[in-house]
Amino acid sequence: MGVNGLRLDYALSRGHPPPMLSIVILLLLQAPLRTIAIDERLAADAGLAIGDRVVVAATPGSPGDTVVVGAIVHRRPDPSEIARADYRVYLHLDQLQGLIGYGDRVDRFAVATPDTAGTTRAIEQIDEAAFGFRPWRSRDIAVETSQTFRVVSRFHKAIAVITIAAGAIFLLCILLLKVDERRRDVAALRLLGISRRSVVRAVIVEAAMVSVLGSIVGVTLGWAITALVNAYYQAVYRTPLLFAVVTGEIVAFAVTLSLVLGIGAGALAAMRLVRASPLALLGR
Amino acid sequence: MRWTLAVASLARHRTRSALAVAGVAIAAALLLDMTMLSSGMRESFRALLLRRGFQIRLAPRGTLPFDTEATIPGAADIMGRLRTITGVSVVSPVLGAAIHIPLADRTITSFAVGNDARVQGDYELVTGRDADSAGDMVANAEFLRATQRGLGDTLRVATGYDPQLRAFSGERRLVIRGEARFFYLSAGQSAVAIPLATLQAMTGAAPQDRVSLFMVKVGNDSLVEPVRRSIQRSESLVDAISTADALSRVDARLRYFRQLGAILATVSLAIGFALVTTLVSVSVNERIGEIAVMRAIGVSRQHVIQQIVVEGAVIGLSGAVLGLALGQVTARWLNSILAHFPGLPAAIDFFLFQGRAVWTALALFLVISIVAGLYPAWRAGSLPIARALREEAVG
Repeated sequence: MGVNGLRLDYALSRGHPPPMLSIVILLLLQAPLRTIAIDERLAADAGLAIGDRVVVAATPGSPGDTVVVGAIVHRRPDPSEIARADYRVYLHLDQLQGLIGYGDRVDRFAVATPDTAGTTRAIEQIDEAAFGFRPWRSRDIAVETSQTFRVVSRFHKAIAVITIAAGAIFLLCILLLKVDERRRDVAALRLLGISRRSVVRAVIVEAAMVSVLGSIVGVTLGWAITALVNAYYQAVYRTPLLFAVVTGEIVAFAVTLSLVLGIGAGALAAMRLVRASPLALLGR
Repeated sequence: MRWTLAVASLARHRTRSALAVAGVAIAAALLLDMTMLSSGMRESFRALLLRRGFQIRLAPRGTLPFDTEATIPGAADIMGRLRTITGVSVVSPVLGAAIHIPLADRTITSFAVGNDARVQGDYELVTGRDADSAGDMVANAEFLRATQRGLGDTLRVATGYDPQLRAFSGERRLVIRGEARFFYLSAGQSAVAIPLATLQAMTGAAPQDRVSLFMVKVGNDSLVEPVRRSIQRSESLVDAISTADALSRVDARLRYFRQLGAILATVSLAIGFALVTTLVSVSVNERIGEIAVMRAIGVSRQHVIQQIVVEGAVIGLSGAVLGLALGQVTARWLNSILAHFPGLPAAIDFFLFQGRAVWTALALFLVISIVAGLYPAWRAGSLPIARALREEAVG
């Protein structure tokens, strides 16, 4: 919950607002009576600044109320607004009710509670009163409205599985080749009397080092690409939303995968090498 | 001969060759999927819009059809004016609303379309007959399942609920006359179609004769744009949206998926290139002595280069063929995930197999594989024969 009092949001489509649920913004020179708040996108597109006078009306061309821009607010990083070119205007409740002929009606109440237990009690009491109200937890609403992002998230995970499979095979292939290239060195070590176990360990340590170095480069690259992706999409969709985030969990997964594959491939290749005789490795 | 030698060379290191082909196959599958994603959404949506031949939609100004709850007043007047425009053959008004069905133990909420059954373009009848008179409706399978009713049953249908009176408003008793399949609904969404006048009366839209949108059919495709412009000039309350406009607006909203597709397609090409070039380079390094001997006994430089290039092509071709099959499977999987996208018609295929685009992508993949083998092939062809033989013998 976390919000005291009431708030009504009305989305404006860029250029031509829909009738009944919209407000037309026109620059005027008359004195304002009340204040409104507008979002930064509308301020930028309409060239509005604090103190400007505008007319707000319910339908295009109808007489409305003259108001003054009292505040310009940041847009919230709300994923549900992505790809929508909507503007947001905040009016005093009674003014909006009068403007759209809504009477003393509201779309919803937001109720702040001190804690989770308080939320449960409030929901029970509202349910008991039951004058046609239906209380929802903010969390439940968030779950309901975040279906789009759950789908996108599942899609991203599926793509990640495919790319990880391709990347894993690539890594495995490269490490096998790299170890294979060391066959002459391994043969020389074996001829000098170095034990099979020592050779395998040396190769595994080398593979692990390659994996660690690769992981460091990969994480750095990932971090840089994340910054680029965020900068690009924040500009495209004009939102402060973060589109990509490198979390500790993701880094841990990537590094672990890289180490497991690297060490696994190194061990596999080393075992194959030490099983062959040194002279065969030298091609003799 | 060159192909035989190339295959024999790859078969010498089966594990690494198999891994390389598997990696290339996954990269090719990803490329295939992203190619299908890039063009699939658009083509699928276009086919859906044109399914019943309506080329123009009129939505309340500043909105897309059913994007908001906004409506257009004076539907009959607008229809009258639209019919006078040269080229307009059919005009279908549509009103959308939520309806409530009070049952004994629960209340079902569904989507309702108010339209004229004679010219509607929202559904196709599966069984029964259309909703021709004021007390009729047709419903989809999801609605019949949710209400556990069938054709011929009568239902109480309301469009609102008054919390103070604890009573439904806009209530009517409607008979289910037919079962229909709706085109523009998301997966699992229940819906009914009701005569426009009935739904207008139930929702309180009748006095102002409000509708959510008009669909307009133009007899000749070449007249679509002139008709659209003419409507836009004469009707101030609506946006006239042609199929091309709708596609460009959907393109803008789904731009993210196209960009993701382009990025991942590029990445998959890069992975394929890196895999092929790495494997072929290592293979050449290992066979320097062998290649030098071939050159020494008279095998031409061109032959050596071609053989190495063919090795890369074999990996690329094998991977592309496997990737084609794998890509179909992964496309179905990814499509089943995106099918749950809220608000999008279930009939939209995100991954649409379009022969030309797919074959072009796979041909590009094959070309990349051949290009990937060029550098190691050039190195093999440019070997100093005597030095390579000496180094091979000494060391």
